[in-house]
Amino acid sequence: MFNRIIRNDILKSKAITLTTMIFVAASAMLVSLAAILVINLSGALDTLMTQAKTTHFMQMHAGEIDTARLTTFAEQNNNVDEFQVLEFLNIDGAQIILGDNSLANSVQDNGLSVQSEKFDYLLDLDGNIINVSDGELYVPVSYLKDNTTKAGDKAVISGNEFTVAGFLRDSQMNSSLAGSKRFLVSKNDYAQIKNLGSTEYLIEFRLKDVSAIGAFATAYASAGLEANGPSVTYTLFTMMNALSDGMMIAVILLISVLVVAIAFMCIRFTLLAKIEEDYREIGVMKAVGLRLSDIKKIYLAKYAAIAAAGSILGFALSFMFKGLLLDNIRLYMGESDNSFFAVALGIIGILLVFLAIIAYVNGVLRRFRKISAAEAIRFGTSQEKNTGAKRFSLSGNRLFDTNIFLGIKDVLARKRLYATMLVVLVISSFIIIVPQNLYNTISSKTFINYMGIGNYDMRIQQAGNSTDEAAVIVETMKNDSTISKYAVLTIKTLKAKTENGSEENIKVELGDHSIFPIKYSLGRAPAAEDEIALSSINADEMSKKVGDVIKLLIEGTEKNLTISGIYSDVTNGGKTAKAVFTDNTADIIWSIISAELSDKSLTDAKVSEYADKFDLAKVSDIDEFVKQTLGSTISSVEMASYAAIAVALVITVLVTLLFMKMLVAKDKYSIAVMRAFGFTNSDIKAQYVTRTVFVLIVGIVLGTLLANTLGEMLAGLMISSFGASTFHFAVNPLSAYLFSPLMMIGAVLIATMIGTSGAGKIKISENIKE
Amino acid sequence: MKKIIIGEHIVKSYGEGNEKRNVIDGVSVEINEGEFVAVVGPSGSGKSTLMFALSGMDTVDGGKVVFDSMDLSAASENELSDIRRTKMGFVFQQPTMLKNLNILDNIILPSMRGNRKNGEKISEKARAIMERVGIAELEKRDITQVSGGQLQRAGICRALMNSPKIIFGDEPTGALNSKSAERIMDIFSEINGDGTAVMLVTHDAKVAARTERIMFMLDGKIVSELKLPKYDGTDMDERVEQITVKMREIGI
Repeated sequence: MFNRIIRNDILKSKAITLTTMIFVAASAMLVSLAAILVINLSGALDTLMTQAKTTHFMQMHAGEIDTARLTTFAEQNNNVDEFQVLEFLNIDGAQIILGDNSLANSVQDNGLSVQSEKFDYLLDLDGNIINVSDGELYVPVSYLKDNTTKAGDKAVISGNEFTVAGFLRDSQMNSSLAGSKRFLVSKNDYAQIKNLGSTEYLIEFRLKDVSAIGAFATAYASAGLEANGPSVTYTLFTMMNALSDGMMIAVILLISVLVVAIAFMCIRFTLLAKIEEDYREIGVMKAVGLRLSDIKKIYLAKYAAIAAAGSILGFALSFMFKGLLLDNIRLYMGESDNSFFAVALGIIGILLVFLAIIAYVNGVLRRFRKISAAEAIRFGTSQEKNTGAKRFSLSGNRLFDTNIFLGIKDVLARKRLYATMLVVLVISSFIIIVPQNLYNTISSKTFINYMGIGNYDMRIQQAGNSTDEAAVIVETMKNDSTISKYAVLTIKTLKAKTENGSEENIKVELGDHSIFPIKYSLGRAPAAEDEIALSSINADEMSKKVGDVIKLLIEGTEKNLTISGIYSDVTNGGKTAKAVFTDNTADIIWSIISAELSDKSLTDAKVSEYADKFDLAKVSDIDEFVKQTLGSTISSVEMASYAAIAVALVITVLVTLLFMKMLVAKDKYSIAVMRAFGFTNSDIKAQYVTRTVFVLIVGIVLGTLLANTLGEMLAGLMISSFGASTFHFAVNPLSAYLFSPLMMIGAVLIATMIGTSGAGKIKISENIKE
Repeated sequence: MKKIIIGEHIVKSYGEGNEKRNVIDGVSVEINEGEFVAVVGPSGSGKSTLMFALSGMDTVDGGKVVFDSMDLSAASENELSDIRRTKMGFVFQQPTMLKNLNILDNIILPSMRGNRKNGEKISEKARAIMERVGIAELEKRDITQVSGGQLQRAGICRALMNSPKIIFGDEPTGALNSKSAERIMDIFSEINGDGTAVMLVTHDAKVAARTERIMFMLDGKIVSELKLPKYDGTDMDERVEQITVKMREIGI
């Protein structure tokens, strides 16, 4: 009997059933994808770190090293299983040319290494330990991912030629969070280049008891051994490797929570409407002595059928999409061997969604208890009082057309019902606005100020120590009438003294910072000789704030500089400083000459003119420069924002359609009454349009408020991961406050029109029964 | 006398193929302006269906209905709506009120369509009518807060709002106790006294006895008709007797 009831019911309400099923399928798919990704990520990570024999404790060190003393320490500590010291030859990004691209703008510390002998192996893309020959270069896999180079390309490092033989997985430094990237060369090649860069040491230990890493780290630190640099543990390596895919999983989980919420809302709404529609029947069933659980079963069975179908569809979809999302994990970490387990967990996740739906339906059905059999049979509808909107009466209404009044009144009288729709619309408008504002913000001209770049048109980067060349450029600019102003900054590496007395390299931009000012998240630009501004990443690492003092070695003497401000920076890995003092000893790494043109349309012409004139300098249009630094981020956010708009509109249309269909079914009686008393079909439609538009407007307002508070906060968190500290949305009012709402209103109007088309078919005589 | 409704050979059927049956089977009816008529018959005889057909709420499958010189079968949905709103009044067995609105708002609802500027005037008129039927104090109440008889009186007020040419009543006292029913019938008599035509559909001889012409309906056909003088409040028992005799004759 159940089967027949369910089949009839589903056939009667195809659109509603289908919409509910789509949302269930989407949530099942997302949950299953998240589960599959989690298992694959942990599996692949485990395989990678086992094959590579990742270091348990690593201390980086720049400066002199006493290997004998370290060996003694390792021998005496009974937890040490293996010990080694590897070299890392730090090479300036500008000196590394892969194919046609140089790594000058790379935010990473790039350097060369040779293959390790004991552990911490660099692996090829099949997971094997690489055996490198002379003349071959293995490149970190991240440069394959961003298309910097491909196998077979010619590579030039500090003037030495190599062939890119392949790519390597580095279990310690794969992640963009690691900050350093190891290129693999043969021992012979390494020996040849060794004096062209600065050597850092990786002091590495494998432990017998991994759980005692903490104790070992303390022992190492208290032994007073080499420690000029950060120390990293196995746990941190795991975390860094997992983070970027972990973020994606987190985003998928977040979206799946939203979609599950929407699915629940749909179910709640359709179920409430269905109960109201069947009120009399339910009363009759109660009256003839059916148990509550029997009546519940009829409804539960239908949703169980929908949920089961949706879950299976979702599971199938998750299989179609998982390859796409697993690509990144496959590339960086390789295959996972527990794919069976992944599928199992996916199924468990879907089962949880399924059970949650059943539990939820069961919860909503609890209100059966409140249905009085007598009342149901006599009145056929719930006699619950309508709350609110009492004072909003038709006789006192002068403001609105009667249809508009009736629409608004209905929303106010049945707030709980419309709250369901409101929540969905708030989520939709949030999804539309946040990515769009984020895109608008990071693509706006002023955003580069947040990124540590001033508002100029042309940027000339002159590498190396040729002050003469920079002076010639400046002289040319001085005589160039099209250049309205210019500034010269020289970048030098200076030594800073840290709290514990060790020295650390810091890149300082020297020059006048007031010509092309940038945004300071705290404080202001350095103005006096004894002032310095730090990028936020530097300030964080040195744990300094505005007003603190930092010790710098300038011309051989230690000098105290007060921190005047902190700014966000995406250039040079985000680790820079700005000051105005003069220094004549340290080498200039490069000079940056920035210029503003009196006529912006000349930018292209000027860029090529200067590029021709000074062929050793790198001349770029600032838009071009920003595109290179932020381009991929901007375009992926742009893609995401379009996708978000599409997704949100689809959700809006589907949900509005569903709600309208349900409402019309629910309100059959009222519609028949109104039509009997002379209201036309267009009157009825106008009332429904008013209802949805009213709810939509509230939804858009709430969604926009939420987007500009919570959304801005979330986006700020994301942005801060690449170096910016303070963050406010740069909103394009036309698009955020006009086009987006208009699009939503359009979508809702169309959906309402389609959804209420059934209202005209309601027969008066059949619905005003005596 | 001018005819307000002319129904010719009306056919209305339900079902399809072999299942098809005529609920109204070639009925012709005429109602004069200001006339007070009743259609009497057992349930399933097609009397409510006839009312829905005559008021343009339902389309007919054969024949035609002319209301106030307008052919309803040729009228558009919107024209039908306009006629129902401006020239007809309806009172049903169940109160057919919107739950969201209070009594006054339910009464003025049809008049307020596209007419919000006259809200004050319309409300005043409604209050006057409510006063007349004795429910003036209920205007702010919810429809769940009043008795069935009071609700039915509110329904009559709504039907009277646009000063209709005819009021249709489909078992208007069917859900009421005898005292309330009597009160309602007094009101219908009063309305008819003012010159509005009233057509009641009922199976209750006591209700039919208030009218001047009674059509007896059986199996989709009008099988007989009875004319009575205008009711003056005196010979009720005799009128009821005449009707029940006729009903027994026909086999109702």
